[in-house]
Amino acid sequence: MHLFLQTFFNPDELLKAFPLLLTEGLRNTLLIAGLAIVFGVVLGVLLAMLLLSHRRWARLPARIYVDVFRGLPAIVTVSLVGLGLPSAGIRPFGRDPLGYAVLAIGLISAAYLAEIFRSGIQAVPSGQLSAARSLGMSYPTAMRVIVVPQGVRNVLPALAGQFIIDIKESALVYLLGLGLGQRELYFIAQERQAATYNSSALVAAGACYLLLTIPLTFLVNRLDLRLRNGGRKQNRAATAPTALPPAPSALEV
Amino acid sequence: MAGTLSEKNPRAGTTGTTSATAISVRDLHKRYGEVEVLRGVDLDVARGETVCVIGRSGSGKSTLLKCMNLLEPPTAGEIHLGGDLITGSGVDVDAVRTRVGMVFQHFNLFPHLSVLHNVTVALRKVRKLGGDAADTVAMTQLERLGLAGLAHSRPSQLSGGQQQRVAIARALAMEPEVMLFDEATSALDPELVKDVLDVMRLLADSGMTMIAVTHEIGFAREVADRVIFMDEGRIAESGPARRTLEHPETERLGEFLARVL
Repeated sequence: MHLFLQTFFNPDELLKAFPLLLTEGLRNTLLIAGLAIVFGVVLGVLLAMLLLSHRRWARLPARIYVDVFRGLPAIVTVSLVGLGLPSAGIRPFGRDPLGYAVLAIGLISAAYLAEIFRSGIQAVPSGQLSAARSLGMSYPTAMRVIVVPQGVRNVLPALAGQFIIDIKESALVYLLGLGLGQRELYFIAQERQAATYNSSALVAAGACYLLLTIPLTFLVNRLDLRLRNGGRKQNRAATAPTALPPAPSALEV
Repeated sequence: MAGTLSEKNPRAGTTGTTSATAISVRDLHKRYGEVEVLRGVDLDVARGETVCVIGRSGSGKSTLLKCMNLLEPPTAGEIHLGGDLITGSGVDVDAVRTRVGMVFQHFNLFPHLSVLHNVTVALRKVRKLGGDAADTVAMTQLERLGLAGLAHSRPSQLSGGQQQRVAIARALAMEPEVMLFDEATSALDPELVKDVLDVMRLLADSGMTMIAVTHEIGFAREVADRVIFMDEGRIAESGPARRTLEHPETERLGEFLARVL
C-alpha cells in the first residue's frame, strides 16, 4: 500500500509537478484544444452542409473526408500532419509543433463533428425549412437562422463529448517534440515520470485534464437543460394571467 | 394587406368577375417520378376572393397550394402572380414567396424563437427592417390577432390554436398579396378550431385574397366565395360556395360531401 501511494501520490512529486502543470501545461493544452475545437467546428459545419446536399458531387468529397479521418487512428493523423508535412516541405506553421497539433486534431474533430451536426440538422422537422422558405428566406439564410441553430441544440451533449475527446487528444502533440514554453499537460508529466520513475506527475496531469473536462460537461448539461426547458420561467410569467383576451373578442372590435 | 382586420370591407367580386386577378394558374402539372399529382389545373383567383379547395386526401390540393408559392416547383404549366409570370427559369423564388403567405397544417413555428421573434425574423432577414421597425410591424399583427400578451412566450407554451394564429400573424407581417392555408385547422383540437377559423373569416372579410385547403365544409360554405373540388389531380367541380356544396353537379363531389358531412 505504501509503495502504491508513493508511486501515484508522492506529495513531494505532486508539489513539484503542479506549478508547472497549472501554468505552462494547462495553458498549452487549452490553447491546442481550444483552437482545434474552433477549427473543427467551422470545418465540421461546412462538411455537414455538404453531407446534407442533394447533389452527389458535393456529398461525395465530404463523405470520403469523414470516413477517412474517422477511420484513421488519431496518432497516425497527428504523425502524418506533424511529422509528415514538414518533411515534405509543407510548413505552414514553421517549426512550431503546436500549430501542426491544432491542425491535426482539428481535422480529426471536424470529421466527427460533421456527423454530429448532420444528425442534429436532419432531426429538425422539414416543415421548419418550408416555413422559413415560404417567408422568402433564401436557403442559406433559412439554414443559418432557423435550421442549424435548432440542429445544434439537438446535439449539445454529443458536442460536449467530442470537445472532451479533443482536449484529451491534444496530448498526442508529445509525438512532435515540444520545446520549453510549448509543453502541454501530458508532455510535462511524462518528462517528470521519465526522470524520476514516479507516476505522481501523471496523476497530477490527470487531475488537470479532469479540471477541464468535468466543468465542460457540467456547463453543457446546464445549457442543454436551459434550452430544453426553453424559457420555462417566462412561461409562468406569461401564462399567469390566464384570462388573456380570447382571440375572437379581441378581433371583433 | 388591404384594410385591417377590424374593418369589414365589402367583398370583392364573388366569382372572379373583377378585372384584377391575384393569381392565375394555367394547365399546371406536377409529377413525382411516376406519379402525376396534378394533371392540368386551371384556376383564376380574383383579388379579395376567398377560395376553398376541398377533396379527398391525395387529390392534389396541398400540392396545388405548394406550387403556388413554389415550395414545389411545377413540372409544367404557368402561374401568374399579380400579372407576373412566376414559373419558368430566371424567377427570383424568394421574392415571389414574400408576396404569397403560407399557413401550414402543423403551424411550423420556429420553436427556438419567441412569438415576437417568430414574426420579426423574416422582416429583419428578408425585408431588412431594423429591430424596432420589425417589432412595431410584428406587434401590430399580434395585437390584431389578440396575441400581444404572448409576444415573449415560446411557441411550446402556446395552445395549438394560439400557435396557428401566430403563424398567421407571421405570414401577414410580410404583407402578402395572397394567403394560402394548407389545412390550417386539421391538426387542432376541435375546441380550438373555431379560434383559427374566426381569424380566417375576419381576414376574408378584410379583403385578403385567400386560398384555403380545408376539411371544414361549414366554413367553406359560410366564408368562401368559391369552392373548388379536386379529384385525381384535376379540378372536378368549381362554383359559388353555397350552391356548389348544397347542389353538387358531379357525382364525385356528391359522394365526397356525403362522406364528410
